[in-house]
Amino acid sequence: MPELTVLVFLPAVAAAVIMLLPRSYEQYAKWVALAASIAILAISIVMFFSFELHADGYQFVERHQWVDVGQFQLQYFLGVDGISMPLVVLTTCLTLASVLVSFGISNRPRAFFACMMILASSVLGVFVALDFILFFLFWELELFPMFLLIAVWGSGRKEYSATKFVLFTITGSAFMLVGILVLAFSANTFDIEVLGKAQFNDPLIPLGWVFLFLVIGFGVKLPIFPLHTWLPDAHSDAPTGVSVMLAGVLLKMGGYGIIRMCVTMMPDVARDWDVWFALIGAVSILYGAFVTLRQTDMKRLVAYSSVSHMGFVLLGIGALGTTGLVGATYQMLAHGLITGLMFVVIGLMYERTHTREIARLGGLARQMPLIATGMVFAGFGSLGLPALAGFIAEVTVFLGTFERFEWAVLASIFGVVLSAGYALWMLQRVVFGPVKHDWDGVTDQHHWWEHAVVAGLVALVILLGVYPKLMTDMIEPAVTTVVGRVES
Amino acid sequence: MPFLAETAAGIPDISEQVLWAILCAPLIAWAIIVAGGRKYPTIAGYLAIGGVGAACLLSYITLFNVMDADGGIVKYTHEWFAAGPLVVDLGVRVDGLTAVMLVVVTSVSLLVQLYSTGYMDGDHGEGRYFAHMCLFTFSMLGLVLADNLFQIFVFWELVGLCSYLLIGFWFHKPSAAAAAKKAFIVTRIGDLGLLAALLLIFRETGQFDVGVIQEWAKNPATDGTLVTLFALGLFAGAAGKSAQFPLHVWLPDAMEGPTPVSALIHAATMVAAGVYLVARFFPVFEASPDARDVVAWIGATTALLAATIAMVQTDFKRVMAYSTISQLGYMMMALGSLGYVAAIFHLFTHAFFKASLFLGSGSVNHSTNTFDMRKMGGLKPHMPITYWTFMIASLSLAGIFPLAGFWSKDEILLDAWRNDTGLWAVGVAVAFMTAFYMFRAIFLTFHGEYKGGEPVDHHDEDSHFHGDPAHPHESPWVMTLPLIVLSVPAIMAGWFAYDHMFANFINHALPELPHHEGSSFEIGIAVSSTIVALAGIGAAYAIYMKRWVTSESIRETFAPLAIIFENKYYLDKLYEDVLVTRVFHRGWNRLLEANDRYVVDGIANGSARIARQASLRFRTLQTGQIQSYGLGIAAGVVVIVLAVYSANPL
Repeated sequence: MPELTVLVFLPAVAAAVIMLLPRSYEQYAKWVALAASIAILAISIVMFFSFELHADGYQFVERHQWVDVGQFQLQYFLGVDGISMPLVVLTTCLTLASVLVSFGISNRPRAFFACMMILASSVLGVFVALDFILFFLFWELELFPMFLLIAVWGSGRKEYSATKFVLFTITGSAFMLVGILVLAFSANTFDIEVLGKAQFNDPLIPLGWVFLFLVIGFGVKLPIFPLHTWLPDAHSDAPTGVSVMLAGVLLKMGGYGIIRMCVTMMPDVARDWDVWFALIGAVSILYGAFVTLRQTDMKRLVAYSSVSHMGFVLLGIGALGTTGLVGATYQMLAHGLITGLMFVVIGLMYERTHTREIARLGGLARQMPLIATGMVFAGFGSLGLPALAGFIAEVTVFLGTFERFEWAVLASIFGVVLSAGYALWMLQRVVFGPVKHDWDGVTDQHHWWEHAVVAGLVALVILLGVYPKLMTDMIEPAVTTVVGRVES
Repeated sequence: MPFLAETAAGIPDISEQVLWAILCAPLIAWAIIVAGGRKYPTIAGYLAIGGVGAACLLSYITLFNVMDADGGIVKYTHEWFAAGPLVVDLGVRVDGLTAVMLVVVTSVSLLVQLYSTGYMDGDHGEGRYFAHMCLFTFSMLGLVLADNLFQIFVFWELVGLCSYLLIGFWFHKPSAAAAAKKAFIVTRIGDLGLLAALLLIFRETGQFDVGVIQEWAKNPATDGTLVTLFALGLFAGAAGKSAQFPLHVWLPDAMEGPTPVSALIHAATMVAAGVYLVARFFPVFEASPDARDVVAWIGATTALLAATIAMVQTDFKRVMAYSTISQLGYMMMALGSLGYVAAIFHLFTHAFFKASLFLGSGSVNHSTNTFDMRKMGGLKPHMPITYWTFMIASLSLAGIFPLAGFWSKDEILLDAWRNDTGLWAVGVAVAFMTAFYMFRAIFLTFHGEYKGGEPVDHHDEDSHFHGDPAHPHESPWVMTLPLIVLSVPAIMAGWFAYDHMFANFINHALPELPHHEGSSFEIGIAVSSTIVALAGIGAAYAIYMKRWVTSESIRETFAPLAIIFENKYYLDKLYEDVLVTRVFHRGWNRLLEANDRYVVDGIANGSARIARQASLRFRTLQTGQIQSYGLGIAAGVVVIVLAVYSANPL
């Protein structure tokens, strides 16, 4: 059964169905989107639990000839391994979450939910595509719904932010495409699985440049310092559900790409450049955290904290060892859930108070205890409290990287104090403190979907914090294969 | 004279289920309260008492089993998760040290839960309160039961979380919210050291097991510098949690939490975590004289600094807070002087009398609605049980024979004497001040004229004060019973020193028995410290009871010192106003933010602007006139022809 094809294209089909709804039925758009997100979540969970933990290579493989023109051999080739499978589940979870938090959208709901579905399709496509051109198509496809989602349904300087997002990503993509083409034509294949086992011995191939170009392409997405400035703008102006997808899933495409393409395909170059990963990772962690401490808008604060958290991914990759790479992958999952949760609760607060200015808020724990509880969980998750997902990721990255780059880790651990600083500072100003009479009539407002999203994400953050084996047992074998390449 | 029983310890006969049950009982109570009990505060209180009570009962069973085995070790381990060479276990380990800690934590916690049903009665968030208290007990039990450093770190941080939640329990008060944040962040600065130690030990041994680390430290092949670094990392973490200078600043502010919380977290258990950590890895410190010196002198500094501040406090509870810091400094001083037994023994006795003191101050507050000693006085006839239990605990803390504190303090002073007479001198000075500030507090609070307490603010909807501060009264039995119960160990806990019972019991937790010469009691040390303590009480009596000398005149005489003490050595100002606000928030952080906005983003936006400007220029070339295009083409052809010609002349 073509599980992956169904998984990837089901949301696209849902998008088509939504667009075909007559205007008088537009309130059903969200239900179609909800049904599709529940379906893909169910499919991905079934796949997750039927995944063979000890098998080698890709699973749920689908492979068909696609384009056959001389040297230009393309395949429709899908599959998942222990790195992409958890990311697929993360995507389906957060898709459901962002559809649910967007249930209140009344401006052009058909177009909105259609865009969300296309976004889900393209991101899932990125994680499961094993042909480089197919991968690139999905990668680019994601820009189109994202641009509209920010520019139409956003707030503030939304056109500026949407354009900035697209320009940054496209610039990265241009570099990436050059890298892809050079690599693929050198090896005579676009097959990611084959490329992941290829040896490039020809000195004429400018592997260093290819590596750099790919890192730039993926690094914009991750984002790495200094390519990160699109992120705070895009985050703060995007609607809630879109911020959830953007922070929760889209950033992970960058980390995934670096592991899958850069490190796996060019392990020798990676070994030469590992110190740069560690350096930029540490700089991102600290720089991001320091700048976060100055933010006064909740969404910008979380956006900058994402720069800091994504630094852990880079640092872990730089270790080029099993522990570091498991940590990096785990950080992508943990950050997706925790930041997703954070954006959800900020969005719910914004809907009620119409502000994200930390200075204007305060004492909300009294008026909206449930949302406040969600924010406390997200805050502690983001500062890396044990028993929540982020801790496992961060400490694994540290432990994995310490042997190789002592200095980078010793610098980065200061991020642990800084993250406590900004997370608790925000909690103190927003959730705690005296009740402000500006927000007197404000309540939790009992929409079931809001509670479902907050509770679900909190549960997942705790689950990954107390039962890491669920993920590490799956990630470890896949990552070991990558490390085997690097060490041989 | 043989210091230790020569027989090797046996293996305690405790099943794994019992140990996990100790850990899980409070967690289950927590889960039930969170799931539905929050709306029924009375039931939440019973659940908390039940959960902690079960853990307490099992802890005593464990203790007796370990005693049967002379304090031997038993452990059970499972894999938690693995990633390459990293294998993290989840296990329980019980030995003499653990058993003592289990009993201290659960006993104090149980009494505090009972007390809380009276103290917190009618509070808005009573259900939430009991949930947090259960979670706290769980975290602390997890910390002492852990069999590896990774797990200790996990529960260590959870203890930090619980203290955050409980200090900030009345989160609508800005001061409480700020104090909670401060406690978490300051202790986290210390945790950096613990984290670094965790990284170091993983690189060196690839494991986290307590036994493995102890072996590593005393292995002669191990690099001594690494052992010292590891020890200092551990101590940095311990200094944060156990409020050692310069990270002690969070603890006095933590008094913003409800008073029973102070009794539990800030007297008996959480702050003991740091001392426990150093004791748990005692062989590491044994192997590193440098680290030991740091521990001893930081401890002595802390003890002295906090005692001086305690003498000038006007807030009843803050006297206790600084007293706790000072006593923790004492314990660290002992550990740094190879006094493993003395430190744990003092931790053990201190837990009881300090819990009693905090609960006593809560009882006073329950009656007067204030902690300000200037508004109290003359409470003795109104609150006899509170008074007498408080008196017993104070005498014990002051180190008066034959109460508990006398024995443990004495062992510390003896170890300090053997290590360095300078340490001993500091210890004796602190002993004087301890007796002085405790009896100053007693005379100001319970003797003299009653000054009316704090009137109840009926507009404050969050206040649950019932009763009339103008007419103080004794607290209900749920609050006085714990005071009476705690007085028993406050008197007698020291007697376990008899025939080295306590020492023999906890020494088997170490891989190698500590080397000690001579007895654990010396009459000279004991007499001198008793005289000093009595002198402290006498001074307090002269100044605050009889007023032979007024406190004002003393303050005048020592004005510069008094001002420094009252301002807590200006450390809070240094940290908050200078470091956090000026250096970081308005300095470094603002610089980086400006860099991000104007340089990093400026380059991105600037290149967009350049592209735009360039296109505007180039656009003018697209005139649409065929003639100008033709001119351009012709010029291009000429250039190419010339270029080709010059490269390949005919």
